[in-house]
Amino acid sequence: MDYKLSNSKPRVLVAMSGGVDSSVAAAVLKEQGYDVIGCTMQVWDYTKNTCDITSKPGEVQANAKSAGTCCSSVDVDDARAVADQLGIPFYVINCEDKFQAYVIDQFLDDYMEGKTPIPCVNCNTFLKFDHLYKKMKELGCDYLATGHYAQKIKTEEGKTQIYTSSDTWKDQTYFLFTLKPEIIDHLLFPVGTWTKPELRKYAEDKEIGVAQKKDSTGICFIGKSGYKKFIEDHVADDLYTPGDIKKFPSGKVLGQHSGIHNFTYGQRKQLGVSSNVPLYVIKTDASNGDVWLGEEESLYSSEAYIENTNWLDSFSDEDVLDVKVRFQHKGAPAKLKKEGQGYKLVFESPQRAITPGQAAVVYRNSQLLGGGWIR
Amino acid sequence: MFLPMSDPIYLDHNATTRPSADVVDSIVEWAGHWGNPSSIHRVSREPKRIMREAHISMAKNVGAISPLEIIFTSGGSEANNLAIKGFFSAIKNKAQFLGKNEFITTAVEHPCIIKQAQFLKDTWGIKVHFIPVNKAGEIDLEFYKNCLSEKTALVSIMFANNETGHIFPIKKMVEMAHEHKAYFHCDAVQTFGKVKFNVKDYNVDMASFSGHKFYALKGAGALYCKGQTPLDPLINGGGQERGRRAGTENTMAIASMSLMSQSSLVAEPPQLVKELRDYFEVEVEKQISNVEITGKGNLRLPNTSHLIIKNIDGETLLINLDVEGFAVSTGAACSSGNPEPSPVLLAMGFSKEEAQSSLRVSLGWKTTKEEIDNFLKALVKVVKRQRELF
Repeated sequence: MDYKLSNSKPRVLVAMSGGVDSSVAAAVLKEQGYDVIGCTMQVWDYTKNTCDITSKPGEVQANAKSAGTCCSSVDVDDARAVADQLGIPFYVINCEDKFQAYVIDQFLDDYMEGKTPIPCVNCNTFLKFDHLYKKMKELGCDYLATGHYAQKIKTEEGKTQIYTSSDTWKDQTYFLFTLKPEIIDHLLFPVGTWTKPELRKYAEDKEIGVAQKKDSTGICFIGKSGYKKFIEDHVADDLYTPGDIKKFPSGKVLGQHSGIHNFTYGQRKQLGVSSNVPLYVIKTDASNGDVWLGEEESLYSSEAYIENTNWLDSFSDEDVLDVKVRFQHKGAPAKLKKEGQGYKLVFESPQRAITPGQAAVVYRNSQLLGGGWIR
Repeated sequence: MFLPMSDPIYLDHNATTRPSADVVDSIVEWAGHWGNPSSIHRVSREPKRIMREAHISMAKNVGAISPLEIIFTSGGSEANNLAIKGFFSAIKNKAQFLGKNEFITTAVEHPCIIKQAQFLKDTWGIKVHFIPVNKAGEIDLEFYKNCLSEKTALVSIMFANNETGHIFPIKKMVEMAHEHKAYFHCDAVQTFGKVKFNVKDYNVDMASFSGHKFYALKGAGALYCKGQTPLDPLINGGGQERGRRAGTENTMAIASMSLMSQSSLVAEPPQLVKELRDYFEVEVEKQISNVEITGKGNLRLPNTSHLIIKNIDGETLLINLDVEGFAVSTGAACSSGNPEPSPVLLAMGFSKEEAQSSLRVSLGWKTTKEEIDNFLKALVKVVKRQRELF
C-alpha cells in the first residue's frame, strides 16, 4: 500500500474509533493536506469477551451493523476500512494495561466507594491525551487529532483555548476538562465546528463507509447486561459494602442492601423498599454502608466541593461561571472559592443530585475553564 | 478503493515471503487446470498430474522414500495439528501403545504446538513436558533427557525458532527419543529456503512444511509422515491424500509449493543472506547503544536477527519503521495486535520490558546491501527519536 508520507507537510496522528465522527476527522485532515496517520487504541481484549450479539439455533440474526457501537473489534475493522478508503496508514495501538489500570480499576474503585464514575474522562486523561499523545510524539507527528465535538480558538491575548462545539447538542468539552494546557497547541478537533447533520452529510457525500453508523452511547466496556453485572464479574463479593437503607431525615431503617455500588444519587427504581411517596437515593456512605433515601426536595443542594481540579484559564472567586455537574446537565451559574486542596461551589439556585464521582465542569460563556471531581 | 502498490523494504521473511517470479508466472496456467483431481473424466487429468507431481517433488526434496509419505495440508499450522493430534488419536486405545501417554515439546514452540499441548493435557489426559530454553536460545538437554521415558509417545521440537532463529540440536534429540521408542515430529516450517534440511539426515518421523515461507503461495503446507507412523486424519471426508486429509485439494497453492521445493535456492540457500545478516548485526551494535542480539554466537537461522533494543517500545518502533517504508516485526506475525509480550521471549527468561522492546529482522533471497543500509539509517533515526521521548 502506498502511503509514503511526505516528511514536509505537518504530520498528524488521528485517533479513530471506527465511528463516523473520528472517520470524518481523518477525512477532513487528509483533505486539508496533512500527512495523516490513523490509529485505534485497543483498550480491551475482545477475544476474552463473548460477542454481544446473541443467537439461538434457528434464530434469524439481526443485522450486525445495527448493533451498538464501541468496544468491539468490529469497530477496529471499521476504522481500518475507513483508513484504507482514505489511503492513510493505520495502526492499532495497544493500551490494554493502561486502560485496565486507569479506567477499569478506577471505575470499580469508585463504585466500591459509593461514587458514580465517568470512565470516559479518565480514558481521555490517561490514554488519549497522555499515552496516545506520547505516541504521537514518538511517531514524529506534530499533532494529535480526535473526533471530539470541541473547538480550539485563539483568544485576543494570543492563547489557544477550548470552546464548546458549534453543535451544542453534541458538545463533548465536559469530557475534556482534564486537558493539560501545555498540550493544547498540539491537538486538533477537526469536527468541532460542525453539526452532526453536516458531518453525516459530508460522510455520505464522501461515501465514507461508516456514514450511517449509530452513535456510541454509554460506557464502551459495559455490555448490554449493565454496569452492575460488570461489577459483579470483576469484584469479589467480600469487597462489597452492604448496609442499611435509611429514611432521611429520621434515620429510620427501611431495609438492608447487599452493596452500595447498586445505588446512585437520584436513583428511584430498584431500591428494594416500598413507600407511598416516591423516594430517591440522596446519599450513600461507604464508611458504614448507609444508603439514605429521601423525598425529591432533599436531592437538591446549592453547594458542592470539588477536588483534583484542572484549569485551562484563570478566574476569580467573584466571577459567576457556568457549571455542569454531569454530562447532560444544562449548566447552572455558580461561584467557585478555593478551599483546602479543592474548590467550594456555590450555586445561585439548588441543583438536583450533585453526585460524587461525577465532574463539575466550569465554563465562562462557551469557554471551557476546567473543572474537578465532585467529592 | 484501489490503492497503488509500492514496495516497502521487506525484512519480515519469517512471517511470509513474496511468491517467486516463477510462481507468479505459472498462476494462470495452474488456474487453467481447474478440475477436481478426484473426478474420473478428462477435466481431472491435469489436476491429477499436478497432485501426482507435487507428491513426487515434495517427497524427493524433503528426503522422503515415497511420495505416499507426503500429506498436503492447508499450511504449517494444519500440518502441525495433523502430526500431533492425528498421532495421539491414532495410538489411543491401541495395545502396542499401552502406557505411552506422554508428550514432550519445548516452551518456545509456535502457538499451534503450545495450544495443542494444552489441548492434549486438558482433553485427552496426556502428560506434557515443556523443555526450557534459556536466554541465549539454548535448549536444556538435561531436562529433556530426564523427561524421556518408556512412557514418551511423541516428541515435537521445532527445527528453528521463528522469532529468534535459534536452531535446536534435532539430530541428537531424535536419537534420544528413538532410544525410548518415542516418535519424533519436527516443525520444519522455518527451514526450507533458509537452511538445508531433509528428513533422512535427521531421521525424524514426521516433519511439517509451509509453502508460503519459501516463496510459494499461501494455502499449502505438507506433513511428511514416515512409513507406518500412526496417524489419524483431522479432517474426515473424501479419500484425498489416501484418506489422511479429506477435502478437495488446493491445487494452485500445492503446485506452487511443489515448484518451489525444486528450487536450487531451497537445495542450497544463498550464502549472501548470512553475510548481510552478519553485516547488519555488526553495524547495529556499532551504531546503536544498548542493543542486545539474542543468542549471538549460537547456531541460528542465517537470515534472522533478533534484537532487544533497550528503552524502546517495540510496537511504536514497528509503526515508525512502517511509516518510513520498512516491513519488520517484533515477533511472530500471528500475534501482532496482541498486547502480551511474546510468550517465546518470556519463556526464555526475558523480562516483559525486554520482550516489548524486541525487533525481528528476517532477510530473504533478494535482500540487498543497499536495503540493509537504508534500513539501518531509518532504524538509527527512529530509535533516537523514541529514546529521546522514552
